[in-house]
Amino acid sequence: MFRNNVKVALRNLRKHKMFALMNILGLAIGLTVFVFGQLLLRYEATHDAFFEKASRTYTIGALAAPELNVGVDKINAMFSALAPIVEAELADVEFVARSEVREYLVGRGDESHYQAIRFADPPLMRIFDLDYLHGDETVLEDPSSVLITESAAVRYFGGTDVVGETLTLDNRYDYVVGAVARDLPQNSHFNSQLIASVDFELVLPIQALNRMEDFDLAGGWSDLSIGNMTYVVLPEGLDGGWLEAQLDAMYERIVPDHATQVIAEFWVVPLTYANLSIWDAPGIPVVEAVQLLSLLVLIVACVNYTNLATAQSLGRSREVGMRKTMGAERGQLLTQFLVESLVIATFAMTVAIASLEIIIPLFNNVSGKAMTLDYLATLPWLVLTVVAVGAAAGIYPAWLITRTSPIDALRDTARKGRTGSATRSFMIGAQFAISAFMLALVSVVYMQNQKIKEESYEFPRSEVYVLQRLEVEEIRERLDTLRFELAALPHVDAVGYSSQVPYEQYNSSTHVTRQPGDEAGRFSIQILSMTPEFLDAYDIPLVAGRNLSRDIANDRRSEDSRALNVLVNEMALEQLGFASVDEALNQSFYDLDEGDAAMEFVIVGVVPTQNITGLFNSLKPWVYWYQEEAMRIGSVRLTGGNILDVIRDIEGVWKRVIPDYPMQGRFLDEVFEDVYVVLRMMNAALAGFALVALMLALIGLFGLAAFMATQRTKEIGVRKVLGASSVQIARLLVWQFSRPVMWALAVALPLAYFASNLYLNFFAGRIDTMTPILIVAGGMAVLMAWGTVAGHAIRIARANPILALRHE
Amino acid sequence: MLKLHDLFKVYRTDEVETVALNGVNLEIDQGEFVAVMGPSGCGKSTLLNIVGLLDSPTDGDYFLFDENVAKYAESRRSVIRKRNIGFIFQSFNLIEELNVAENIELALLYHKMPAGERKRRVAAAMDRMGIGHRAKHMPGQLSGGQQQRVAVARAVVGNQPLILADEPTGNLDSVHGQEVMETLRSLNAEGTTIVMVTHSAAHADYAHRTVNLFDGHVVTDNTRAA
Repeated sequence: MFRNNVKVALRNLRKHKMFALMNILGLAIGLTVFVFGQLLLRYEATHDAFFEKASRTYTIGALAAPELNVGVDKINAMFSALAPIVEAELADVEFVARSEVREYLVGRGDESHYQAIRFADPPLMRIFDLDYLHGDETVLEDPSSVLITESAAVRYFGGTDVVGETLTLDNRYDYVVGAVARDLPQNSHFNSQLIASVDFELVLPIQALNRMEDFDLAGGWSDLSIGNMTYVVLPEGLDGGWLEAQLDAMYERIVPDHATQVIAEFWVVPLTYANLSIWDAPGIPVVEAVQLLSLLVLIVACVNYTNLATAQSLGRSREVGMRKTMGAERGQLLTQFLVESLVIATFAMTVAIASLEIIIPLFNNVSGKAMTLDYLATLPWLVLTVVAVGAAAGIYPAWLITRTSPIDALRDTARKGRTGSATRSFMIGAQFAISAFMLALVSVVYMQNQKIKEESYEFPRSEVYVLQRLEVEEIRERLDTLRFELAALPHVDAVGYSSQVPYEQYNSSTHVTRQPGDEAGRFSIQILSMTPEFLDAYDIPLVAGRNLSRDIANDRRSEDSRALNVLVNEMALEQLGFASVDEALNQSFYDLDEGDAAMEFVIVGVVPTQNITGLFNSLKPWVYWYQEEAMRIGSVRLTGGNILDVIRDIEGVWKRVIPDYPMQGRFLDEVFEDVYVVLRMMNAALAGFALVALMLALIGLFGLAAFMATQRTKEIGVRKVLGASSVQIARLLVWQFSRPVMWALAVALPLAYFASNLYLNFFAGRIDTMTPILIVAGGMAVLMAWGTVAGHAIRIARANPILALRHE
Repeated sequence: MLKLHDLFKVYRTDEVETVALNGVNLEIDQGEFVAVMGPSGCGKSTLLNIVGLLDSPTDGDYFLFDENVAKYAESRRSVIRKRNIGFIFQSFNLIEELNVAENIELALLYHKMPAGERKRRVAAAMDRMGIGHRAKHMPGQLSGGQQQRVAVARAVVGNQPLILADEPTGNLDSVHGQEVMETLRSLNAEGTTIVMVTHSAAHADYAHRTVNLFDGHVVTDNTRAA
């Protein structure tokens, strides 16, 4: 019987090739997206599982304190002070280790370049069982040794048998290779692009940090930064809940006041979730969104199939009648039709898997991931998906077609009547609602991105060449020389140094008040350290007062300054309570975070309120001051000239002034792209989903229109004989599909409004044209629907009426 | 074998009520060959559909093998139908996607019967109808007469005791029509009860008994001496 059912299914496919193609194609698209989404999530969610102690390993992060106000809810990183306390106080903890990420100039012989390095407590190598080619997990116990991975060893030394070889950091500090380990698989949080583009290549003992930058081995409470992780291994029987309870109990006692304004609570994260935990930071439900979108696409595909199959099955009424006459029970017929949809789902899955075999390597190539389609592991799940999809998509048409009595079926009354037409309209509507929803959302996201991009031109993005990594002592000493020589170059307008440049997501702030010690009037203000030329480099005008100067003692912050001349933006003035710009000049305000010896700031100049960090950040009060030791980035303002020549000139100057360190330069554009790329990729992913959903909906509409047109051929013939024009006929057919599409919009647009609002809440400066955008997107969906149906309608309406009448 | 008592069938569509069968009383014994005749719309096909359990009466009793099946639900009717009744239609009703052998096998498919046994019986039925050489052909590749022979093979392959034929020759020329009638006659000779609706007096002559319907009533019921 089953074989017979399959045979009939295959013959039916062959007989109705166009419908079969549309059915299989539609389902295949849906399945490809769905399976890909699931594989991606599975890949992201199974990072680090290969470590022996993975199930017992946790990282300690924190919930951000509300005062922090940097748009981050949770952060999977920790101050370096916590790990030593955990080790001292929680005897049950098996291992605890910190890992701090820094970038250093790493050299071997004459060659050197910047490289991210992990500095870790020795137990890190016991928590994570690496595969050692040479040396072993004791490597970090020697403060002067370094662990290197295979590919890095090959890169630096041309081979892996390199224990005993030397690497030099920052041209000064030598470390001896103590162990060589195989590269970690790509699916480890260590290598995850989600967390930071810091591959796991070099690991040094944390004592090395102490040697090179006076890192306090007992740790501190002011070094919270992405990449600085604290790992804990618990013995069997204890879990993350236990650890969190222990940490909660300690929080008030151990976390100093100023740090409580950064972290509100500890957050224990299982190691296997560490990779995904990054998405908890901005609170964007990325995982859930991918889950939901891929499921929506699959649902659209299923509905699509259901719709087409229902329409088609009506043409098989006579067959059903005959089978019933022969004694087929309803269950047997249901089985037959379900087997048919299973056959189609199987074909579709085969197509989907074939496409994934092409898509996954391409995706890996682009994304640097190592996703695989592991048939053995996923087969049961794939089969289950096929069965679920086949059943879900096929049950309605099967139910509908086997419902009629044998005599009605034989007479084919279903085809002539309007059986299931309400349901079909509903399903078309549902499909369109989903596609219109996505299309509308994509448009809003796109427009918001455009707005961010436009606003970013507040700063001369493409005319500023930034020089990074200036904070090294040896470079800082030569910054003045560098500035003079660069400024003398043709096409260089200004050279300013600062602690950060626009779009960098650094957050350096302090708390200030108008009156010293006035706790009630305090507010948080962002700090930008800069040289006077910074304003010229970015065309920042002075609203009032003067720029900072190198020649006035109080304009420059030093160790023992107690009063400092500063610039503030207009928003800071407002928050300080000054009524006008002029009133504020030469007035003071005070730093609260420096204890009793409050620093006095004197306002000597006012600049406009600009969005320095840009992107999704809100406008904030800023204070600009001049502090040599805080400079870490240079901004070279270019005016015309051949870009390549100018950069070659800049490089020449750098090589002359600072020959011992390589230049790290790029355009401000790229700094912006660093962060913007995340938004752009989200939009691209969303657009991809929306496009697929829309495509499916249009395929569905096309198929259904084709079918309905043949259904109504005779009616159309009669209408034409009675004098209907082609246009009237076309309008009739188009209108038939317009109503469900309109209903779909009525549902989709309010939902899209709601979802867009949620999304836009993430941004401080949001577009104010959301509603028109939604309406235009909805209108586009309708136009596309009309276009799809109209093609058919016109062709049929133009045909010779006698052809239509002879039909049947 | 079957007995209809005071059988009514009324079709209601919105405002109009059409009485297709108006108190039909009819008894048919095992082994009979009955022709049902009458003008268009007299209720012949309705009668046949009810006898074939494809449709249910609005009122009245229908005893099949002494069991009153008039009020049975479709699920029970389908079980009785597949055991006892074979059908032949004017329009053949062959399934386009199945070949000749598979169309015939369809009648056995819903019986719990091993595949070997099914094949054997299908082959026997095809031989009997002289269509064995067409086993792999699709219905569309056959002439009308051949298609009706396939339909007859499908009706007899299950060895059901009752065969209902609704104008079996209506779509055939006279030569092919006669062929089908001969087949029915020989089936009847072997003991199968046959009820046939026909417009053709010549074909009605193959039957032993002719029932005339008019406006939903039985108006004459003539049995010919054997």
